[in-house]
Amino acid sequence: MIKRHPDSTLLVEYSSGSLALAPNIAITTHLQFCDQCRRTVNALENIGGDLLDATESVPVSEDLLDKVLNCIDDSNEPTTANQSTVKNLDDLVDAVPTYIQRFLPEGRLNWKFLSPSLKVAAISIGEDVHELAFHKIKAGGKAPEHNHQGTEITVVLKGSFSDDDDIYHPGDFIIREPGDIHQPIATKNEECVCLSVLSAPIQLTGVKRLLNPFLSFSPS
Amino acid sequence: MEEHQDWNAYLEMVGKDSDKAAYTELFTHFAPLLKAFLLKSGSQNMEQVEELVQETMIKVWRKAKHFNPSQGKASTWIYTIARNTRIDSIRKQVRQNPNLLNADDLYDSDAIMTPHNTLIELRNRRNIRVELKNLPQAQAEILSLMYFQGQSGQQVANALKIPLGTVKSRVRLAMEKLKLSLATHELDIAQDEGEHA
Repeated sequence: MIKRHPDSTLLVEYSSGSLALAPNIAITTHLQFCDQCRRTVNALENIGGDLLDATESVPVSEDLLDKVLNCIDDSNEPTTANQSTVKNLDDLVDAVPTYIQRFLPEGRLNWKFLSPSLKVAAISIGEDVHELAFHKIKAGGKAPEHNHQGTEITVVLKGSFSDDDDIYHPGDFIIREPGDIHQPIATKNEECVCLSVLSAPIQLTGVKRLLNPFLSFSPS
Repeated sequence: MEEHQDWNAYLEMVGKDSDKAAYTELFTHFAPLLKAFLLKSGSQNMEQVEELVQETMIKVWRKAKHFNPSQGKASTWIYTIARNTRIDSIRKQVRQNPNLLNADDLYDSDAIMTPHNTLIELRNRRNIRVELKNLPQAQAEILSLMYFQGQSGQQVANALKIPLGTVKSRVRLAMEKLKLSLATHELDIAQDEGEHA
């Protein structure tokens, strides 16, 4: 039973397209587990459709239709390289979106020990505002107690872990704000694997912008 | 509602038979709506917006065969294509994540729209349309900044010079008014600042 969900602002940001890549991946992953949030996103996308319907239209250039018709004449749908052959991400569960693999140099995660009980595999997604990583705590293992410089999203993929507040199961979407100190402990019978997104992990500029999306980089 | 079913039917004709007459009808209706919608983002000029409209409408042609009317209405489907096209164009501008992923990869519509979801959603549709019009100004303003301009909650807070917590509670109140089921999203409630705008 999933107890922790993204808040409604995050779901609106997801549905309206303002989330940066890493938190977007975290939400997509949560949606694989959570019917309730999928329904909500569906309804939020419908609001987008309603807003489009209700917009006062603005005429397009006269030649736009011809341009488009010309384009569609000489183009069929590009054959999407539908790589449904999911390479096994080590022993990760199916919940991780398969496109994650495109970011892995040899299709593998590069696990490193952070402590005897905790391994991390960072994934470079070409976005410098967030750090995306998998964490694995061995059965019964404790992660080191830690503070956060930035906001951290954790989505449980497999197994479960607990901290002082609660116990978390696959699909749970947990947000920690800067200053939250916690020490996750995996349950005894199974290792725990999580996806995590840390915002502004390295820069200590004192900027506490929640999920600073790349869209905020005004191009002009 | 009848109108929606017409557009759904046109979209199906395009998908099944590559019907150009049906496509032209769709284009004539939706291209000007898309232009208006995308112009509201304010960050792009007329030319860029027309390019986005063009790109979106070409994708509508190419993807029409994947449209499933039992999963939702045409305008929502076209909205998601426009949203993804806008995301990709902004990513290109900031040179982020070139070529590895596009927004269509991120939003897997098959995974998100299941028939089961849609039944419940359709039941709530009429409510949402009416309620959307009746939202208090403070809540409607935030939704419009987020949808039309693609702003995040934090950006809306900055733009309106109000705390992020206030933005979040207004979004949540709007969701409640729109009768979207967020009842068990305790995180939201915990963050409520007691505002009842």
